[in-house]
Amino acid sequence: MSTRRRGLLASMGLAAALALTISGCAGSGGVDAPDSSGLGDIPADTEGTVRILMESVPDTDIVVDLVASFNETYPGIEVEIETLAFDQMRDKLIASFQSSEPAYDLIVVDNPWMDDFVDAGFLEPLDARIDSTTDYQPEDFFQPLVDITEVEGVRYGVPFYNYALGYLYRTDLYDEAGMAVPNTLDELVANVQQLTTSDRAGIAMQPQRGYKIFEEWANWLFAAGGSIYDETGNPTLDTPEAAAALDAYIEAFTTAAPANSSNWAFDEAFRSVSSGQSASMISYNWNLPGLNDPDGASGELAGSFALAPMPGGKQVLGSWSWAIPANSAASDAAWAFAAWITSPAVDVERVVAGGAAIRESTLSNPTVLESGFGEDYYAAIIAILSDAAPLSQGLGGEEMIQAVGTELSEAVAGTKTVEEALADAQAAVERIQR
Amino acid sequence: MTSTMSFRWAMLAPVLTITGVAVGFPLGYALYLSLTDYRLTSRGAPNFIGLENYLFVLTDPRMWNAFSNTLAYVIVAVALQTVLGLTIALALQKQKWIRDLTRAMLLAPMFITPIAVGLTFRFLLNDQLGAIPAALRSIGISIDFFGPGNALMTLALIDVWQWTPFMVLLLLAGLESIPRQPIEAAKVDGASAWYTFRRVVLPLLTPVLTVAVLLRSLDALKVFEYVYATTRGGPGIETETIQYFTYQTGIQFFRLGEASAVAFVLLAIVMTLIVILFRRLQRSAPR
Repeated sequence: MSTRRRGLLASMGLAAALALTISGCAGSGGVDAPDSSGLGDIPADTEGTVRILMESVPDTDIVVDLVASFNETYPGIEVEIETLAFDQMRDKLIASFQSSEPAYDLIVVDNPWMDDFVDAGFLEPLDARIDSTTDYQPEDFFQPLVDITEVEGVRYGVPFYNYALGYLYRTDLYDEAGMAVPNTLDELVANVQQLTTSDRAGIAMQPQRGYKIFEEWANWLFAAGGSIYDETGNPTLDTPEAAAALDAYIEAFTTAAPANSSNWAFDEAFRSVSSGQSASMISYNWNLPGLNDPDGASGELAGSFALAPMPGGKQVLGSWSWAIPANSAASDAAWAFAAWITSPAVDVERVVAGGAAIRESTLSNPTVLESGFGEDYYAAIIAILSDAAPLSQGLGGEEMIQAVGTELSEAVAGTKTVEEALADAQAAVERIQR
Repeated sequence: MTSTMSFRWAMLAPVLTITGVAVGFPLGYALYLSLTDYRLTSRGAPNFIGLENYLFVLTDPRMWNAFSNTLAYVIVAVALQTVLGLTIALALQKQKWIRDLTRAMLLAPMFITPIAVGLTFRFLLNDQLGAIPAALRSIGISIDFFGPGNALMTLALIDVWQWTPFMVLLLLAGLESIPRQPIEAAKVDGASAWYTFRRVVLPLLTPVLTVAVLLRSLDALKVFEYVYATTRGGPGIETETIQYFTYQTGIQFFRLGEASAVAFVLLAIVMTLIVILFRRLQRSAPR
């Protein structure tokens, strides 16, 4: 055999080996799910380590503080909580799901991720565990939060934290103007216009492209009587109600929002309201205690903020849910912790410490009502969580939210008309659903 | 003959191995992914779909919008950096006192991670909180820096703030390596300062200038952090750059096959530009 021929054969062999190696890398990750006992009541002598990934926010600190109490019941279970910024969490989770040596045994899942994670087989079904856990009372969770954990009738998570939105406003300014909290979209626009002065905006808005603008505008859509999906799950974004909501949103933005705020997201809007430069905002319900905290960002304005459901009564709901990865190395210990932290008694402790509500009974518990945030606050939360809906349903939730958020941003920026933007948003969601 | 060949291959082996592992494998893997329907959430082997991803991205107006945004960003940012960098380098060359301190201070922005720079400018340019809008308001100017029509230019200016020092560094080194004789000869012949700069300094600086522009252009093409920290591609799709588009497609929306195809289209365009620039550089090099 000549040297040239040998070289050719060697090159072909090398190329074939490389091709096999490369193709073997994709989609080969992950391990078969370890057999889950499916137990609800986990024995107190269970041993193991539960590695949890959570967002680095105050709600996680509350959970961390409760771990010692958990270990009084389960001394053999070690809980290790890793915290990350929200933007990094999903990538780390997917890497762990695909790994032969998973990094996490218990996770929190953001609502747009749920269907994709379930479809990929990343999560353990929890029906058997939930139904067989003594005194767990799963029917006590707010139903909209439970709906997010269900995919095709199977529960893959239990609620951890609600991100339902509401209308946060300055009571002193409303009283001064002799106005009542708005009950319709028109009243909302009129109120924020009336609250606008030369040195104060009527409403701090969050029109940043993508998630933020869609999350905010969808509340206006509900207030206009519209919806994101119809009963069969088809998008309904090119309706007259959607057009009215977007017209009203743009009108409020151009007449009552702070100048030059077309890129604002939560941080900027919150600072604007807490510093007295804006009179109201639409944001997460649990921001109220922070705004009214005398030691917080509001300073002298603390105590003058209140929370109300959106006009029309329906609002956007986001949520975190506890879920057990299908490749969790300690699924029983993970369920022991998830069931314990979401149990009725511990939920009261968590909410008293400042955590967001997930159970109806917690919000009527005397300890919670006397804890300092005020009965009105909890009454508003009950109203908000009783009628709330997430931004996305089904697969591709993240892409759907970004696609609609981009079209809405185009309409606010004036690069598309309201009708064009909504038609394109509708088409984008239909394409993602196919 | 055979032993000479073996020796050559043996000498080449370390660099070939490193290149193969560090560049060849990721490149080959990305090429393979671009020909499949691989999603980040897939657990089985992906399906081979030929050039389908390429056909999709090449006909996707959003991809071309992202490409033209990136191109506009690079042109504005690098052009301003070149002019400013050259001006500052010429000034620094003449400086007599505290040269080292001045140069060290000028280079400081380069040492900050771009995501921190993006976040800093997000608040620095905030109309209610930022120092820059407050200063502008005091002289009657109001600008929505991240608003429609302005956002892309704002991002380019952030890039100018951070990376002009890099241009200064390269051009100053280039200026200081220019032989003094041609400049002195021009002076003796009575050439003006501008004429000497245009006819003597600039031609001698061209090779360094070309490399500096090339390096900065390639780096600016990768713009992602500023977009991520400030506009997230908005308003609308005005600041959606090719890297942000690829990130969204591959990481946020899980479609890694399609994102790999976008990356290869970009690679083909960038490689073509590099080859053209290097050929020009070789032709203009003094023989």
